[in-house]
Parts: sequence; C-alpha cells; structure tokens
Amino acid sequence: MSGQGGEQLTDFERLSRQALEESVLRIDGRVRSRLNQARQAAVEAASARRRPLFSRFFTLVPTAGAAAAAVLVTVVLWHRGPQIELPPVPDSVHPTDLDLLSDSEGLDLVQDGDGSGSFYEWAAEPTEAGGSETDT
Amino acid sequence: MPVASHGDVELSESLTNARSRALNQFLAGVELKAFKIAQAALRHEDDALDAVQDAMLQLARAYADKPAEEWKPLFYRILENRIRDMQRRRTVRGRVIAWMPFRGDEEEDELDPIALAPSPDPSPVKKLELAEAMGALEKAIADLPRRQQQVFMLRTLEGMDVAETAIAMGCSEGSVKTHYFRALQALREQLGELV
Repeated sequence: MSGQGGEQLTDFERLSRQALEESVLRIDGRVRSRLNQARQAAVEAASARRRPLFSRFFTLVPTAGAAAAAVLVTVVLWHRGPQIELPPVPDSVHPTDLDLLSDSEGLDLVQDGDGSGSFYEWAAEPTEAGGSETDT
Repeated sequence: MPVASHGDVELSESLTNARSRALNQFLAGVELKAFKIAQAALRHEDDALDAVQDAMLQLARAYADKPAEEWKPLFYRILENRIRDMQRRRTVRGRVIAWMPFRGDEEEDELDPIALAPSPDPSPVKKLELAEAMGALEKAIADLPRRQQQVFMLRTLEGMDVAETAIAMGCSEGSVKTHYFRALQALREQLGELV
C-alpha cells in the first residue's frame, strides 16, 4: 500500500493509518452535526464575501446613471447663457420712454451707424430758434 | 472601459456557486480528520470542535479565492495556529487557576456515558482488536511532542506529502522528515507490535 504522495508505507504506518481512519469513522453524530453546521457557516461566509461585488454592481449602475444625468442637466443649463438682468426702472422714466426702449426700431435710432445715438441727441437739442423740433 | 453585461454577471454568479460547492466539498472531506487532529492535540472534544470551526471560517473568509489545490495546507496551517493559541490560553489559565485558593474541580466535564458508547456497528473480534489498537495508538499519539504529533497526523491520517506538510507546519521539508522519523520511532517504542 502506498500513501503520502506515492511513498511506500511500512506495516506500522499502514496499520496506524487503518486504526486512525477507523477512529474517524467512529466519530459520533453530535460532532458530525456540529462540524456540518460549521461547514455551512463557513461556505455562507465565503459566499457573503463575494456577494457584495454583484450587489455593488447593481447598486452602482443606477447611482452612476443618476449622477451622470444630473451633471448633464447642469451642463446644459449652464451653457444656455447668462440671464440678462434688466436694470430697475427709475421713477422719472415715463411710460412712453419705456415704449421707446422696448421698440427695436427705436434702439436702432439710439444706436445708429456710428454708435453715438445722434438722432435723439439731435432731437433733444434746443433749436437755434429757442425750441426743439419736436415741439413743432 | 469594459462594461459588465447581464451575461457577465450570470457567469460570475455561476462561478461563485461553483466555488462555494468546491469549498463545501473540500471542507466536507477534511472536517472529520481535522477534528481528530485537533482532538489529539487539545484532548477536549468541544475545544477541538471550536478550533476546526474557526479554521473553516478563516479559510473561507481569507483564502476562498485561492486555488483549491492550496486549501489543504492553508487549512491545516490555520488549524495548527488555532490549536497553539488554545494551548497557550489553556496554559495561562492553568497557571492562574493554580494560584487561586478555590479550584474549579466541580466544573470539570463529567464523562457522558452515551457519548462514550461505541457506535452500534457489529463488532467482530478483529474490530475489537483494532479498537484496542486504536485506543492505544491514540493515547501514544497524544503523548508525543506537539510537532511530532502534528507531522504524524498530517502524514498518516491526512495523507499529505512532505511538501504539503511543510507548508501546513510552517517549517522546512527537512524538519518534517526529522519530526516524522522521530514520531515513528517513539510510537514503535511505545506500542511495539500492538498495531
């Protein structure tokens, strides 16, 4: 009989092994049951150790998706351009002035070709005759 | 960057299940022998069970991902460490108790006659002889120095080769051979031709 990696066993070793194996077979049910429970617990512990990889994957994907969507929305809103804040309207401004300001043609008149706003300046200037042309 | 598809996850799950089955199979194959080895060293059934249980858990938690061929020497290495820890603790406890005025003799476990009763196998004369030899051998093994006991049990009962035994014991192959030779010599002297 060979054993221990193919080495030849002496009679003493062979009989010793036989006796020890016999003693293993005689292990009672209580011990076998406890060993079985310990084994199940160990296998469960090993499975639980591996399980987080999967659960991490399934929880990571929706979380990462939500985070990416939030970033996307932020980027889109950011690139819509700065909001134009209108300056507060002073009390002295007459509603007709507002009409003029909101009128795009009027702005053209304010900012004419040379950007000097010369039409309204010219209109507001008193005439040599002592009044503005708009009074006429 | 590779993205895990549903098929990859299923494959990983089946690999995990296969790994769990392999671990279960391995532990089922070694648990009884491991218990015998621990019992020979600790001479106490419940302590031996605790040691084996701890070794199983530690192997599962720390080394379940290692190749299955490496499990056996690793498992017995862990078991040996647990046995040594328990023996040390017991030695310290023994010293403390020796200094205490009241000894806990009444707390000693009483032998349970049911547990001691042999299993209900038919026992012909040959089996009786073997049982006697077994008892004598177990006693002789228990009296061996720890390292000799360990190497004898791993080599004879577990059938591990010199290299595996060296890994399990954390020593060189030469030491394994020396301890084993001395263990055989001591047992032969003590048992003669009994076994």
